[in-house]
Amino acid sequence: MQVSASHHSKSTLYRVVNEIEETAIAVILGLMVLVTFINVVLRYGFADSLIWGQELTLILFAWLVILGISYAFKITAHLGVDAILNILSPGGRRVLSLIAAACCVAYAALLLKGAWDYWAPFAGLDATTGRWFPTGFADSRDQAWYETEQVPIPFAKEWLEANFNFGEEYEKLPRFIPYFILPFGSALILLRVVQATIRVVKGHQESLIVSHEAEDAVEEAAAKNAED
Amino acid sequence: MDVVLLFAMIVGLLLIGVPIAVSLGLSSIIFLLVLSDTSLASIAQSLYQAMAGHYTLLAIPFFILASSFMSTGGVAKRIIRFSIACVGHLRGGLAIAGVFACMLFAALSGSSPATVVAIGTIVIAAMRQVGYTKDFAAGVICNAGTLGILIPPSIVMVVYASAVEVSVGRMFLAGVFPGLLAGLLLMVTIYVMATIKNMPKGDWAGWGEIWSSFKDAFWGLMLIVIIMVGIYGVPGVTGAIFTPTEAAAVASVYAFFVACFVYRDMGPLRPREEGGRPLPLLSRPHAVLTAFVHRDTKHTLFEAGKLTVTLMFIIANALILKHVLTDEQIPQQIAGAMLDAGFGKIMFLIIVNIILLIGGQFMEPSGLLVIVAPLVFPIAIELGVDPIHLGIIMVVNMEIGMITPPVGLNLFVTSGVAGMPMMRVVKAALPFLAVLFVFLILVTYVPFISTYLPTAVMGPEIITK
Repeated sequence: MQVSASHHSKSTLYRVVNEIEETAIAVILGLMVLVTFINVVLRYGFADSLIWGQELTLILFAWLVILGISYAFKITAHLGVDAILNILSPGGRRVLSLIAAACCVAYAALLLKGAWDYWAPFAGLDATTGRWFPTGFADSRDQAWYETEQVPIPFAKEWLEANFNFGEEYEKLPRFIPYFILPFGSALILLRVVQATIRVVKGHQESLIVSHEAEDAVEEAAAKNAED
Repeated sequence: MDVVLLFAMIVGLLLIGVPIAVSLGLSSIIFLLVLSDTSLASIAQSLYQAMAGHYTLLAIPFFILASSFMSTGGVAKRIIRFSIACVGHLRGGLAIAGVFACMLFAALSGSSPATVVAIGTIVIAAMRQVGYTKDFAAGVICNAGTLGILIPPSIVMVVYASAVEVSVGRMFLAGVFPGLLAGLLLMVTIYVMATIKNMPKGDWAGWGEIWSSFKDAFWGLMLIVIIMVGIYGVPGVTGAIFTPTEAAAVASVYAFFVACFVYRDMGPLRPREEGGRPLPLLSRPHAVLTAFVHRDTKHTLFEAGKLTVTLMFIIANALILKHVLTDEQIPQQIAGAMLDAGFGKIMFLIIVNIILLIGGQFMEPSGLLVIVAPLVFPIAIELGVDPIHLGIIMVVNMEIGMITPPVGLNLFVTSGVAGMPMMRVVKAALPFLAVLFVFLILVTYVPFISTYLPTAVMGPEIITK
């Protein structure tokens, strides 16, 4: 659906989702900087500190990267080596890119199973059985009472306690909330990788990689130099 | 044997165009699932902990952000003006000023490609206008840009420090003298070449221009002071004020304020038309609040976030691979084999150089460091090589890797910025590449250059095995 959207006219849904993704990346990074900065100011200005500041920043760091991975697959921003691809004929390039895409799908699928298996017990759910592929559900030990070290619960404390901790009190944010990014992010990664693969199959896109991090900036600079 | 297979798989996947991060991750996952009893759940946990468990790596997004604010905020052109005022009147002056500007910008940013884009975009065009050949201009900037990872702050050094658990502060200090030395070597080479070939020189604009361009660049250059004073304190007055991670966060907030309210090249007070004057804050006092949510701010945050994501995806997967290697006791095996073969310190350093020069052709520098550093670190300690010195050797190797074909990162960037084919950039960069090679040998065999400053400032290092 989005394949055609990104290549013909960009649909409203595509633009809304894109805006959400870009805003999330910007806002998470902004929050990380602010929390760290405020903590420095508090320490020197007021001999105080947000005791949960560092832990929260690290959680946001994980959220930023894991969410961002799927976005970077969507816009083809992951770094790779294109030296071989560039010397091949278009046909050969296509074959290799399809194999590469299959590898990415395999990686994302394995990651998703791992992410679910890791997260599920923390949320009181069951992990899957099987070593490579999910073959069924195991009867996992409920670990919903694990809490983060310092992060307080901002709201919906009673609701969390009633639904996840058998009504027992949570003193700190339960761990399944920060860890939730693992299954959620992995599912998004799998989705974006599959979409990218479809684009390669349909011939809308040549490969899943860019050769260096500054490709956009270089294009802008080259355009500027061309005007001179 | 299994390990050879593992590395063959990684290289194979890389070459067919699988993203670097996925090549490392997928190979490690397959290896772990087949040969050990590690579960997929614990691999997913490693991925999460790569970020949430590494406070040191948190400096990476912050340094990237600070340098993004500085680049969009028009600091590059002010630094270039200051550099030209200082050394532009020498024979080959504009080229020397280009190197000087790269060194200054390197001290604001932690990345080489960023330095090439920021400085190269302006300087290459300027050099052509006054009569340098395009090749010479591209060669100079391509090489000088590599200083971005050697002059602190440096993202690659943060990665090294985190991978082998040495102090980031020490690594940064260790980079200062080698960085200055490399810049000086490049400048002297340019001066000699310029004198022989009778290249153009600029006019001496007087001390007034130096002073006024310095005042203009002052707010940008202050960032260096904030980072350095923050990490090390004022000698004799205070101790360290921030951790390097906090220094990076403070630097990005500072860079945001300078870009939005002092230089006003971005944000709500930006000039309305190209080349116009920025708006005074008094005319729009609400800018104090709107700057935080202005779309320029959001765009810079987003771009910095995107770059962080692609780098950290590689580093996180390299950490999974590192996990595989240490589990299999590979570093110990290699160390044993090398010591049995009777390799001494010099032979070992040569081997490190070769591995990194070859690896640097294919891999992104930070990812390569995460993998290679833990492999060679135990051997280095065994042979009595200083860990900080080893770090600087590795960083300089990465620099050279960036300008050696076929996959040198800076070559790509320069060829894009200058609008030249790759092969011409390669040829143009060659004479300076030779200089950097001499520099590499110097840094490798004279540890004093790297270790003097950190030892003098932070005391001798205690190595715990």
